[in-house]
Amino acid sequence: MTRRQAELLLLCGFLILAVLLYRSTAAYPPTVQNSTARYVRFLGLALGFFSLLELGLWFRKGAAVKAEKLAVAAVPGRFWGLFILLVVYSASLTRAGFYLASAVFLPLAMLLLGARKPLTIVLTTGGVLLFIYLVFARLLAVPLPAGTLF
Amino acid sequence: MILQALHELLTPVSLLAIFIGTTSGIIVGGMPGLTATMAVALLIPVTFALQPLTGLLLMGGVYCGAMYGGSIPAILLRTPGTPAAVATALEGYPLTQQGRGGLALKVSVVASFAGGMFSAFILLLTAPLLATFALKFGPPEYFLLALLGLAGIVSMAEDESRLVKALISGLLGLVMAVVGTDPISGMLRYTMGITDLYDGIAFMPALIGMFSISQMLELTGEAGGIVTGEPQLDRLKREPLPPGIGKPIALGSIVGTIIGILPGEGATIAAFVSYNIARRRSKKPELFGKGNPEGIAAAEAGNNGCVGGSLVPTLTLGIPGNSVAAALLGGLLIHGLIPGPELFTRYGVTTYAFILSLFIANVIFLLLGLFMAPYFARISLTPTALLIPVVCLFSVLGSYAMNNSIVDIFIALICGLAAIVLQKTGFSLGALILGLILGPIAETGFAQALIMGHGSYAIFFNRPQAVILWLIILLLLVPPLVQIYQRRRRRSDTA
Repeated sequence: MTRRQAELLLLCGFLILAVLLYRSTAAYPPTVQNSTARYVRFLGLALGFFSLLELGLWFRKGAAVKAEKLAVAAVPGRFWGLFILLVVYSASLTRAGFYLASAVFLPLAMLLLGARKPLTIVLTTGGVLLFIYLVFARLLAVPLPAGTLF
Repeated sequence: MILQALHELLTPVSLLAIFIGTTSGIIVGGMPGLTATMAVALLIPVTFALQPLTGLLLMGGVYCGAMYGGSIPAILLRTPGTPAAVATALEGYPLTQQGRGGLALKVSVVASFAGGMFSAFILLLTAPLLATFALKFGPPEYFLLALLGLAGIVSMAEDESRLVKALISGLLGLVMAVVGTDPISGMLRYTMGITDLYDGIAFMPALIGMFSISQMLELTGEAGGIVTGEPQLDRLKREPLPPGIGKPIALGSIVGTIIGILPGEGATIAAFVSYNIARRRSKKPELFGKGNPEGIAAAEAGNNGCVGGSLVPTLTLGIPGNSVAAALLGGLLIHGLIPGPELFTRYGVTTYAFILSLFIANVIFLLLGLFMAPYFARISLTPTALLIPVVCLFSVLGSYAMNNSIVDIFIALICGLAAIVLQKTGFSLGALILGLILGPIAETGFAQALIMGHGSYAIFFNRPQAVILWLIILLLLVPPLVQIYQRRRRRSDTA
C-alpha cells in the first residue's frame, strides 16, 4: 500500500467516525443535550470538516505526489515478531502471572532481536526481574499481574 | 518564625529526610507507571511513625524529585516517566539520537531546578494572596485554559496540510477523551461494555503506547543502539549549557507557577503551554521537534514550576492544585495540620520549614542530576537487542500499574501501532496526546459553563479573566497562522 492510499483510507475512516459521533449524541439524555452532547456534536462536526478539507487537499495534490510505499517497519520480521510477542505476553499475564510470563518474554524477545550470548540474556532477565521484585513488589507494594495457573 | 523554621530544617534528621525523599522521587518519576501521587500516598502511612515535619519533608522531596525524574527516560528512551514529561520527550529524544542525551539531561536538570526554585520562592512570599486569585477561575476559564493548551497544535504545523492533519490529530485525542462516563449526567459513552473503560481511556497507557512502544517497535530495525550520530557523552562534563536557554527557563518558571496555582490544573498542561510559548518566541522555531534544548528548558521549568504553584491553594485553602498535592494534603491532615491561616501562624514553623525544604530538595536533585547525567546518558548506548525487550517490559508494567488493568496494556499496544501508522502518514502524535490530556478539562469546563450560562455562549466572553485568556489564545494563534500563510505565498511565488 502506498502512503497516499493509507492517508485516503484513514481520512475516510475519520469521516465515518465523525458521522457516527455526531449521530450518537441523539441518544444522550435530554438533560445534557445543551452541554456535553453539544460538545461531542462540535467534535463530530469539526472532525468531519477537517477530514473533508484534508481530502480536498489530497485530491488537489493528485498525481503531483510521487507514489511512495508505506513502510511501517524497516525489518518487518522483527517488528511484527516483537509485536506478536508483546500481545501474547500481555494475554498470558492473567494465566501465567507476571514473573513467569516475563521470564519467557524477555529471553525470547532478546533472541528475536539478535542477542546471542546466553549469559548476557540470563543475567539481564534475572536482573530486571529481581529489580522489579525488590522495588515494585517489596518496597512500593505495587500489585503485579497475578496468574491463575500458579 | 522563618529563622525558627530554618533551625528545625537544618538538623541531620530533616536533611536526611529531604535527601531520601528527593532521591526516591527521582527513581519513582523515572519509572513509567510509578507516579509521584502514588509515592506520596504510599508514604503517608510511613509518616505516622515520624515527626510531622520529617514526614512532610519526605513527601515534599518525593514531589520535587519525581517531577524532575520523569524527564530522564523521556529524554533517553522517549518513554515519559510522568505525563508531564511528554513535551520534554519531543525535544530530548532527538538530542539523544544525535548522541547528545547527556546535554539534554543537563538542560533538563538546570531548568527543573530553576522552575522549582522560582515556584518555591513565590509560594514562600505570596501564597495567601495568589490563592484568592486562583479562586476567581470558574468553568469558562478552565475551558479556555484547555483551549490555550490546544493552541499549541497550530504551532506544531509547518504548512496548511500539516496544519489540517495536526488539527485532525488533536480532535482525535479529544474524541478519545470522551470515552467513559459523561461528566454531567453520569451516562456511560462508547465503552462497549468494557468496565475498564468506565473511567475513560487512561492517558498514561496511551502515552506509553504512543511514545514508548511505538519507538521500541521502530527501533527493531536498528542494529546498534538508539544513538545514530557520534556519541558525545565524554565531553558532557565540560560542555557548557547551550546559549539562549535563559529565556525559556524564565518563561516556563512563570507559566508553570501560574498554572500550578489553578486548582485541578496539572504539570502536564504547564509543560505543554510553556513549550508552546517558547516555540512561538524562539529565534529558531524550525529546530523544535528536532532536538531544540530551548524546548526542554521551557517544558521542564514549566512542570517543576507547578510544584510550588500547586502548593499555594493546597496550603492556604485546602484545595489541592493537582493529584500529588491532593495526596500531600492527605498527609498534612493526618498530622493535624489543617490548611488555612493557622498553617501560617500557629503551625508556621512546620509550614515554613516545609516550604524552605523545597529549596533544599531542588538543590539536591540539581547536584544529583548534574553528577549522574553522564551515567544516565550511557543507557542510550545499550544495544537495542537488550534495551528494547526491557523497555517493552517496563512499558507493559507501567500501563498495567496505573489501574491494575490488563485492558490498559492492550490500549498501550493498540496506541503504539496506531501511532506508527499515523506518524508515517503525516499526522501529529503531539497534537493527539494534547487532545487526549486536555479533553476532560475542556469538556467539563465547556459543559459546566454552558449550564451556568443557561445555554448561552456569552459566558465565555463576558468575564474579565475569560477576556484575558482569549487575548492570550489569539496571541498564540495569530503568529503561526500568519507564518503558514506567508510560507504558502512564498511557495506560490517561486512556483
